[in-house]
Amino acid sequence: MKAALDGLKVADFSWYGAGPICANHMATYGATVVRVESETHIDALRTVAPFAKDKTGYNVSGYFNNFNAGKLGITLNLNAPEGLGVARKLVEWADVFLTNITPRVIERWGLTYETISEWNPKIIAAYQPMQGYDGPHKDFLGFGAVLTPITGYSHISGFPERQPIGLGTNYPDYVINPGHTLVAIMAALHYRHRTGKGQRIECAQLESSVCPLAPAIFDYTANGVEQNRAGNHLPFAAPHNAFKCAPLTNGGRPMDERWIAIACFDSDEWDALAAVIGDPVSDAKFATHEARKENEDELDAAINAWTADKDAFAVMEDLQSRGVPAHVVQSAREMLDFDEHLKARGYYVYLDHPETGRSAYDGPPAKFSKTPGELRSPAPLLGQHTEQVCKEILGLGDDEIADLMVAGALI
Amino acid sequence: MPESKTALDDIRILDLAGEAGQYCTKLLADLGADVIKIEPPGGDPVRALPPHYHDNAEASLYWLNLNTSKRSVTLNLDDEGGRALFKRLAATADIIVETFQPGYLAGLGLGYDDLAAIKSDVILTSITGFGQDGPHAHYKAPDIVGVAAGGVMWLAGEPTDPPNVPPWRQGYISASIIGAASSLIALFHRDQSGEGQHIDVSMQEALSLAQETAMQTWDMLEALRCHAGSRGIIPFDVPGIGVYECSDGHVFGYVGAPGGAPWSELLAWMDEEGMAEDLTEEPYKEFIDNLNLRFLTTFTEDPAAISQKMQTMAHIAGILRKFAATKTKWEMYEQGQQRRLLWGIVSTPKDLAENPQLKARNWLTPVEHPELKATLDYPGTPYRFSETPWAIHARPPLVGEHNQQVFGEELGVSESEWHELEARGAV
Repeated sequence: MKAALDGLKVADFSWYGAGPICANHMATYGATVVRVESETHIDALRTVAPFAKDKTGYNVSGYFNNFNAGKLGITLNLNAPEGLGVARKLVEWADVFLTNITPRVIERWGLTYETISEWNPKIIAAYQPMQGYDGPHKDFLGFGAVLTPITGYSHISGFPERQPIGLGTNYPDYVINPGHTLVAIMAALHYRHRTGKGQRIECAQLESSVCPLAPAIFDYTANGVEQNRAGNHLPFAAPHNAFKCAPLTNGGRPMDERWIAIACFDSDEWDALAAVIGDPVSDAKFATHEARKENEDELDAAINAWTADKDAFAVMEDLQSRGVPAHVVQSAREMLDFDEHLKARGYYVYLDHPETGRSAYDGPPAKFSKTPGELRSPAPLLGQHTEQVCKEILGLGDDEIADLMVAGALI
Repeated sequence: MPESKTALDDIRILDLAGEAGQYCTKLLADLGADVIKIEPPGGDPVRALPPHYHDNAEASLYWLNLNTSKRSVTLNLDDEGGRALFKRLAATADIIVETFQPGYLAGLGLGYDDLAAIKSDVILTSITGFGQDGPHAHYKAPDIVGVAAGGVMWLAGEPTDPPNVPPWRQGYISASIIGAASSLIALFHRDQSGEGQHIDVSMQEALSLAQETAMQTWDMLEALRCHAGSRGIIPFDVPGIGVYECSDGHVFGYVGAPGGAPWSELLAWMDEEGMAEDLTEEPYKEFIDNLNLRFLTTFTEDPAAISQKMQTMAHIAGILRKFAATKTKWEMYEQGQQRRLLWGIVSTPKDLAENPQLKARNWLTPVEHPELKATLDYPGTPYRFSETPWAIHARPPLVGEHNQQVFGEELGVSESEWHELEARGAV
């Protein structure tokens, strides 16, 4: 089947999350992506859990595999001059060069835009440094766990009386930073289509991560207001929270919990909700939006009492059928095993991988009517396609490949 | 406003998006696309959402941020005359972005097939909570429903609290980013083939990747990641990992993770300032020398070893806590980073506005608002281009500000036609 990015060639010199996910989406929509790794400096995600049950080694991390489907994987030692020679050939082949490796190392290897644009003047080179290639903090270290507090998520997430713990994940790594970078790359490709000109893109993870919190920053620059953690409430909705339902079993462990999110933004939604709950919320103190805001803790308690013994999915279906915004607060278990909607749309994709066996991957991030995305293969084993890429993409002969191996360039 | 070449200046976008899609069209507008925002007569309801500029009900900062570089026209799609005018506009569009309930536009005779009949290579990008098909396609989906359905809310918060809603509508943001990227991927295909298509973005699906490893952990091990709170994924307190209180706020540490300096560097710093107490002596010194993630991993597999070392770790963490309390969060962050310690400041909005790195790179972007008699510092760019710079090309539009320009000058709607449309409530 034809694909949207047929013919697009991507040299993916990235690691961890923000870079590989960006290239992953390009592979899903049909680009040929060569993912460059090295045994001398392994992508740490290959060593991070979860690992396929009872399996060990570099090829069985679900964390790594989910971000690298559909790519060709090669190992290349960029600390060997011959390895850098192969990198140059890859850049000459590619339309897009992508890296989130720290600027210090990129500069040491000579993979800056000044250099690689001499090798390939039409290249779109996308760099994802932590803080930027210039500025007083350009050499500051970081990864998602540290970036989440630095970029403001931790301070304004959660309940005000709690510590600023963030969102439970390295949040900006997975959608925000790979997504912004992808927007930039695709825009640059359109410009190149019109003008023939390549260019350099810098998606500093600091700047990219801060953008989605713009309203909080704007409130400070324009009004001098310092927003804080504000819990689950919103000024223009009530209720707007998560409510505890009957647990999945009677174990009562956190993993058995079931919560439902319910929100009412106007009087129609409230009237529909109040009609279902009945007496406990029929008091005048909940009659208007203003009254509900004033008595919101009491309102939350009344709804909690109502949901406590109910099945979360049954409440969700009932409320949605009455026009009340509601959804089970789903864990990964609910999304994979219970969510009939995701199943009907076929969002998660199961692929057979030579070492992990059959395992789940996130599917294409959007549905395209004429050029649907597709995960064409599971994540590559470490170095799986080194020889194939050297021969078929870079056109190297057996002797040249043997020389590279002897020189320690292909590890 | 800077006038320069941009990446998308040949692209016209009709923006029918509500809150869920306005960040999508903002991204494309700031890259130079001609984004025409189509508001119902009376204006986009999102204009009313807080926070506002001081007490000015006409100036929502939330809305302003999402609508930079766009033009605005008013048009009533529920009126036949309004629809006819929309079709004339659609004939000039490259991309149309919408966030209505699935089937709404088709019901008005403006679905993908209708639009493609007007403009054969048009790209229609639909952004909704659950996508265009499937049993929940018609579910009401404000942001909280998306983040609940998409798995990210479940992971956020302390174990004893309700799961946390991420701040500032991250469901809408994620769906918008995927919407913008997908629109441009479809544009790439159109550039090669001349073919347009319909893009279906689901907020729930757009968020799924942000579960980090939760999906794979359930799939591979039938183990469930939960809202684990301050402990994160490490099930016990480890000195140097987590939130530390400074004299004026917090920092977050991940000392011992690969890439950063080892714990011994932090100990040396504490010692230089006379605050290491007995940590330079045994048994602490040896423990600290070994305190890295690899060590912790072996630890996790041996619960007996953990309980044995609990007191040691609590002692070290306590002394580090005293050290952190003597410093400001900026001192802790910048001085620690100069020693290559993996620390991050827990930034408040003020810290971000004053962040030296963002300042040095002129990230905040001043925009003149003559109507407000003010210049506002807008949050800036997510990315920088060497050839086609990002810019806020125009301040966000007033309601219907470009009616005359777009309908009159560009579409050639005559004055009498216009009055007729106005009279019937079409514009």
